Amino acid sequence: MKRRGYEILEHPADLGISARGESLQEAFEEAAKGLTAIILDPATIRPQTALPVSITASDREQLLVRWLSEVLYLFDGKRFPCAEFTIHELGPTWLVATVRGEDLDASRHHTRLDVKAVTYHQLDIQEFAGQSRVRVFLDI
Amino acid sequence: MFTRIDRYRHLIPKSYKAGMLIDGLVFADEHLLPQIEADQTKEQVANVATLPGLVGRSLAMPDAHQGYGFCIGGVAAADLDEGVVSAGGVGFDINCGVRLLSVPAAAGDVADRIEPLIHQLFRDIPCGTGRKGALSLGGRELDGVLCDGAEWAISRGYGTEDDLTRIEEHGRLGSADAAAVSNRAKERGHVQLGTLGSGNHFLEIQRVDEVYDERVAGVFGLRQGQLMILIHSGSRGLGHQVCTDYLDVMHDGMKRYRMSVVDRQLACVPVGSPEGERYLKAMAAAANFAFANRQMMTHWTREAVQRVLGIDGVRVVYDICHNIAKREAHAVGGRRTTLLVHRKGATRAFPPGHPELPADLKDVGQPVLIPGSMGTSSYVLVGTELAMQETFGSCCHGAGRAMSRTQAKRETSADALMRDMKGMGIHVRCGSRAGLTEEKPDAYKDVSRVVDVVHNAGLARKVARLVPLAVMKG
Repeated sequence: MKRRGYEILEHPADLGISARGESLQEAFEEAAKGLTAIILDPATIRPQTALPVSITASDREQLLVRWLSEVLYLFDGKRFPCAEFTIHELGPTWLVATVRGEDLDASRHHTRLDVKAVTYHQLDIQEFAGQSRVRVFLDI
Repeated sequence: MFTRIDRYRHLIPKSYKAGMLIDGLVFADEHLLPQIEADQTKEQVANVATLPGLVGRSLAMPDAHQGYGFCIGGVAAADLDEGVVSAGGVGFDINCGVRLLSVPAAAGDVADRIEPLIHQLFRDIPCGTGRKGALSLGGRELDGVLCDGAEWAISRGYGTEDDLTRIEEHGRLGSADAAAVSNRAKERGHVQLGTLGSGNHFLEIQRVDEVYDERVAGVFGLRQGQLMILIHSGSRGLGHQVCTDYLDVMHDGMKRYRMSVVDRQLACVPVGSPEGERYLKAMAAAANFAFANRQMMTHWTREAVQRVLGIDGVRVVYDICHNIAKREAHAVGGRRTTLLVHRKGATRAFPPGHPELPADLKDVGQPVLIPGSMGTSSYVLVGTELAMQETFGSCCHGAGRAMSRTQAKRETSADALMRDMKGMGIHVRCGSRAGLTEEKPDAYKDVSRVVDVVHNAGLARKVARLVPLAVMKG
């Protein structure tokens, strides 16, 4: 198994993401990739425009939910699908990142599923030296 | 384990789990109960029973399945002074709901026009994901939608005043405050007004296949063989963001009120707290967005029916909310009191004589609309007095999911499903082929069984069965 990556998880009504990386940063980045792949085909997104993202939260779980909610909002509210995610700094309650994508082009970007929201349901964050893992479920 | 009360009622006593303050009650028969036991529904019903200030029982309808925090198909009523409001108890898709329209024509007389009609509807109603609606609203205009709901749509020429009497709350929750809705939620919503959405949302052309109660069907405006159109949609990204925003507000608020919950998705605050009041104003605004959304789609449906069939006079039979929390008057222990009733994947089902009903429905009761899964029957029922006594005037909302999306996709290809539907004589138009297989009929429970449970348990009575002729999915 690759050291970083994501899998889509089953839930009776919805979908989840299990993401891993050598660091928690990588696991968070992979989770964002997983979310994008649920919404549309990431291969169709040109990472031509960079946007800075900074997020604060009251705890680590909320930080993960807010990070993924940001990616969802960029797609749904700003019509800006993202393909690349780089987290520069990740603290217990904040993160600073750059995301890269482009403005939505309905002729090339075919949405697979509407994701309604990122949930706290069975949310799990495990951080170990050399291998971190996060799990999050989405409302579809 | 459940304590069996009768064939359709199964109690989860307070002793089942530490912290439960009230009993849980699940409505199901011997076939649906094992399905409900197969996932986390029972635990979620018990978890809801740990929330402070709930009245009566934590309820699950026969279509219940595992959700986030609360189960889907759950009902919980909170005392206004002692109880809590939970954003998770309403869910992400605020005022997801269904609207049934009657077309003054026999389906058999227009059989050869059904396929062109679904194509026209697919062209006229933006349905797919991430797409813009037919209009993009400015900030002040969107505030009008959030405050006035279906009334806003009608003031802009989408439908007529007559439509309002056949919408729950007349299509407008007066407690809405657009200022309680974040800019982020408004940004997600402003291009999505007048769009169907994807997932389980759909528009279906149907025929009245069987009438169980001629008198009530007549009052509702349903006749054997009649052409009908059912719209299932909600508050789109705007409502989803309102829920996301207020889950955090409530989570942080709980620290202030020294409260804790067993599952973070159950985050809640006292009903009368500033956070609770503000959530209810934002939720009402999102609900109004959904009412306006379904009203606009009704207008475009009328235009499509006129264009393809040359028929006017499409009427709203009824429009009900699936995901909502509302202050309602109920009798508790023989005393009238106002409660905050959370319905998540459940519908209101008020009986004959209820003061909230319009004059023409007062003698018979509220229409209860229960859509089936794609390709299966939908039902129209009517509310009963027993539901007022047992379930705060609530009933089930659909078939209820029985299979995960990934499993559904694994088992069926879009081509095979389209072939099956065609074989049944049902025309399908869809935005996403992957999304289509996830909604295949057997991914859901048997809607007829679900409906029989609420009918036999006395929560609502069957009025008519509708069968699909054509389906449009996001």
